[in-house]
Amino acid sequence: MSLRGIRTAGTALTALGIGLILVLHWMVFFWVPTEATMGVVQRIFYIHVPSAWVAFMAVGIVALTSAVYLWLGDERLDMAAVSAAEGGMLFTTIVLLTGPLWGRIAWGAWWVWEPRLTLTLLLWFIFLGYFLVRGATENPARGKRFAAVVGIVGALDLPLIHLSVVWFRSQHPGPVVMKPEGPTLASPMLVTLFAGLAAFTVLFFGLYFYRYGLARLRFAAARRGTDEGGEPPPDTPDVTREDTP
Amino acid sequence: MREYLRQIRVVARKDLAVELRARERIIAMAAFAVLVAILFNFAVDRTAVRMQEIAAGLIWMTIVFTGLVGLGRSFHAEEEDQALLGVLLSPAERGAIYLGKVVANFVVLSVVEALIFGTFALFFNLSYGDHAGALVVVVALATVGFTALGILFGAIATNTRMGDTVLPILIVPLLVPVLVYGVSATGRLFAGRPVSEVAGSVRMLAAFALVFTAAGTVLFRYVVEE
Repeated sequence: MSLRGIRTAGTALTALGIGLILVLHWMVFFWVPTEATMGVVQRIFYIHVPSAWVAFMAVGIVALTSAVYLWLGDERLDMAAVSAAEGGMLFTTIVLLTGPLWGRIAWGAWWVWEPRLTLTLLLWFIFLGYFLVRGATENPARGKRFAAVVGIVGALDLPLIHLSVVWFRSQHPGPVVMKPEGPTLASPMLVTLFAGLAAFTVLFFGLYFYRYGLARLRFAAARRGTDEGGEPPPDTPDVTREDTP
Repeated sequence: MREYLRQIRVVARKDLAVELRARERIIAMAAFAVLVAILFNFAVDRTAVRMQEIAAGLIWMTIVFTGLVGLGRSFHAEEEDQALLGVLLSPAERGAIYLGKVVANFVVLSVVEALIFGTFALFFNLSYGDHAGALVVVVALATVGFTALGILFGAIATNTRMGDTVLPILIVPLLVPVLVYGVSATGRLFAGRPVSEVAGSVRMLAAFALVFTAAGTVLFRYVVEE
């Protein structure tokens, strides 16, 4: 994809995402009916749940692009992975902030080791590990490979962590966690939930394309350092790739 | 296949030989483990809770901390004089090198775990139930999974500026299933429950060990290449 195309995609998706978020907020605050058992605080659900979906989608993208990056060595795959990881960490943080806010009112405590929130907390640390090894390595090329391995192994473990955490909870029952949607999700609630999912997914990809474009620009600038003569920067890979403007 | 297994054996034997000669790591891990057990004596109010009931959890925490201490140093020998380069220049396959190191570290950690169980039994007058065989299987499977993650991420940690400090951040989140199923199975066996009750946990520990040993074998070469 050309740099101009990336920039256009980023701008379009981010603008659309922001628009959808405004629509979402109108729906959440003015349109969707209040949930019967939990009251007004349940409205956090429409921010909390879509963020979680996007966060886990992001780690899936990180794992897939990382795996193919290790296999093929194409730098653009690593750029895709780090872009997804940044967005993923952002939305994971949103889940971890909105969850306790909701829980404080709904469950009476900031944190009750609810299985899905616990999984998301561990996901946050997987992202942290991804960025730590990426940044703390002297050789940036190795750092990218390390990060890719962390992303792959982290994503592989998530289903196992989920099973273990859910099973643990069944062995050690805690406070009753009300299902946010009740037995069935009423139609306006479902619409709002999907609006939230659309808004956050679109915004995620808008940010993703901006971040990816930035990575491509940095890469092109690093390579252009070779045209002036002198040594190329140490992290510039040997494989040359023409950036079509 | 035979050649692959031979390579694993050679690497494992080399690492174990290095370990047995210097014994630094195993002594440090053993001392650390006993000291942690001593700390638990002061950290746990035994008028409020019976040690026998929480022993499984405390033992596993000790194993995790001790394992992290030891695994952080698992590539220490190779840091000297670029020894890792020498290992990589050998015709051994990367996966075989990885598995050899996993085997060696499994042995070291298992020895220390035996010491941990013995120490806790001594310090806190514990009973470990009647199913020693099942207990050994549980601990062994969990240790395989732990070591598999530890060697892969240990190789990464060694090559970052943060070194050993990043290793717990990488390993601990991924270790949650091992802890959940390990503590549950161990606790039940301590309480004298029948072996059939821990079968599910044993299966999950085996699955974990399999998945991450396989993942490590495949991914190790990407970690060690310059």
